[in-house]
Amino acid sequence: MSGALIAYRWELRKLMAQKRMWLGIVAAALVPVIFLISIQISKVTLHPPDGPYDTPLGLNLRSSGLSLDLVVFKMIGVIGPTLIVAIIAGEIVAGEDLAGTLKTVLVRSLRRGEILAGKALAVLTYLVSALAIYAVVGVLIGVIAWGFHPITDLTGHQVSALRALGLTAVAMAVYAVPVVAIACFAFFLSVVTRQSVAAIAGTLLYALALQGLSALSAIASARPYLLVGQLTAWHDLFQTPVAGDAIVRSLWVSALFALPPLAAAWVAFTRRDVTT
Amino acid sequence: MTGTNDVGTAPIEARGLVKRYRDVAAVDDVDLTVRRGDIYGFLGPNGAGKTTTLRMLLALVRPEAGSIRLFGRDLFVDPVAALQGVAGFIEEPRLYSYLSGRQNLQLLAAFDRAGEGAATIDEVLELVELRERGDDRVSEYSQGMRQRLGIASCLVRRPQLLLLDEPANGVDPAGLRFMRELLRRLSDEGITILLSSHLLSEVQQVCSRVGMISSGRIVFEGGLDELAGATGRRYRLEATDLERAAEASRSHQAVQDVRVDDGALSVRVDDDAGLVALTAALAEAGVGIRALALESDSLERLFFELTEKRPMQVAR
Repeated sequence: MSGALIAYRWELRKLMAQKRMWLGIVAAALVPVIFLISIQISKVTLHPPDGPYDTPLGLNLRSSGLSLDLVVFKMIGVIGPTLIVAIIAGEIVAGEDLAGTLKTVLVRSLRRGEILAGKALAVLTYLVSALAIYAVVGVLIGVIAWGFHPITDLTGHQVSALRALGLTAVAMAVYAVPVVAIACFAFFLSVVTRQSVAAIAGTLLYALALQGLSALSAIASARPYLLVGQLTAWHDLFQTPVAGDAIVRSLWVSALFALPPLAAAWVAFTRRDVTT
Repeated sequence: MTGTNDVGTAPIEARGLVKRYRDVAAVDDVDLTVRRGDIYGFLGPNGAGKTTTLRMLLALVRPEAGSIRLFGRDLFVDPVAALQGVAGFIEEPRLYSYLSGRQNLQLLAAFDRAGEGAATIDEVLELVELRERGDDRVSEYSQGMRQRLGIASCLVRRPQLLLLDEPANGVDPAGLRFMRELLRRLSDEGITILLSSHLLSEVQQVCSRVGMISSGRIVFEGGLDELAGATGRRYRLEATDLERAAEASRSHQAVQDVRVDDGALSVRVDDDAGLVALTAALAEAGVGIRALALESDSLERLFFELTEKRPMQVAR
């Protein structure tokens, strides 16, 4: 087995043994639950096309449970996924640095790069798991509350319930791409700050800055190439015919945002002195 | 318990190590030689540069100058290859508190690419007397148990060279005795040990050779006997006539220093021959010797003299 896989396997075991990881998973599961409850509570006072109904696919709320996950994406903005990835990606190296366990594992037979790769893969696995839990819980409670019905897509066409379910799964994967880029930044901060709190707070500030930047009218033409814009690339899937431009752009823009911090983390981790 | 190592050269050969933090030289031109089979005491007061040196020996810190060869392999050409057969911990063993002792050892065995063999892990848990508590979380361990688990984490690697930084820290007297016996046993099995400590008394009891570091520089390296020989030994002498004994001692060429202390003489003599000559001179002066013994704290005094003052003769 390669060193990176050995490290990855044990990173997963360590994550499973930590409350922090379960906190993230539970938070991901609770987001659609809280949103559904708030919609149900406000159904007397809030009507289409206001509030959540005024979002992409929002008019499908309360008519098809399959719309819940996708509408919540809009509601949680960039901060929701950032919080959930930062508590793990920001801690996974810095936490070990602080606890002193990094120096314990760095004197064994795996190379530093292999250990870092194992950690990066574990963060990715956590992120995918959190999104999957979010998706499954959202679809389940949405269908229980509002039924397994067709939805109306962004171009006004009806999409069958089964096809909408499949598209939702793909949308999760597309949504995950820019979130991975955010996770890479948190990972980088985790390596260079050596402080979990600083890495998590720094990642949140980064997300807020990205959001602020995308709201500036002066750079409106650059907005499609900013990371926050990629969080809506999944809209391509809910058009008839299905488009792909935004998805392709999301892939390369997210890569541009992900690779530099990842490379910097690699350089810093493999060359630095471990003095904690 | 030891693994194989195909290189027949010294376990540690460090030459000209330098490490600075900002303008402060934590380690300044340090040479260190640990021979096969040594229990080598690496002594120095807190902040002298012991831990930084150990960090460099384990490739956690890169020196600004100098070289380190472990069993003849250059540590900074390929750290993973050079650290084969080497295990240790810095400051204190740090393990995953939310995992059990056994899981920690399994993790480290996996990181050694040695598999997670239950037999080996049971063997080392037994050796450090933690088998009964192996499935408990490390967060529930006492300090002494963590120290022992730290030793176990090294032994899982089947090392030929152990680097231990202050392994007696926070350990109670029974734990200290256990630790000493364990180190002697491991040495008997052929493991070379470098034991870093600021406690001379601990090092005296188990080590065959010592290196002393002060303000980042090695001030002595050699056997404990050489240390005493290089700096002289101090004896407590009780005599029938203290004044005449002091007079005879002061006028004797083998005696370097005479102090009257609490109804006895404290004399510094360089070697055994000088001591024999002194006793003969005392007899000739008509002084009866009631008791003559090496002062128990003489090495400790030497330690302070060496580490708090200038560098002196270095024996290799």
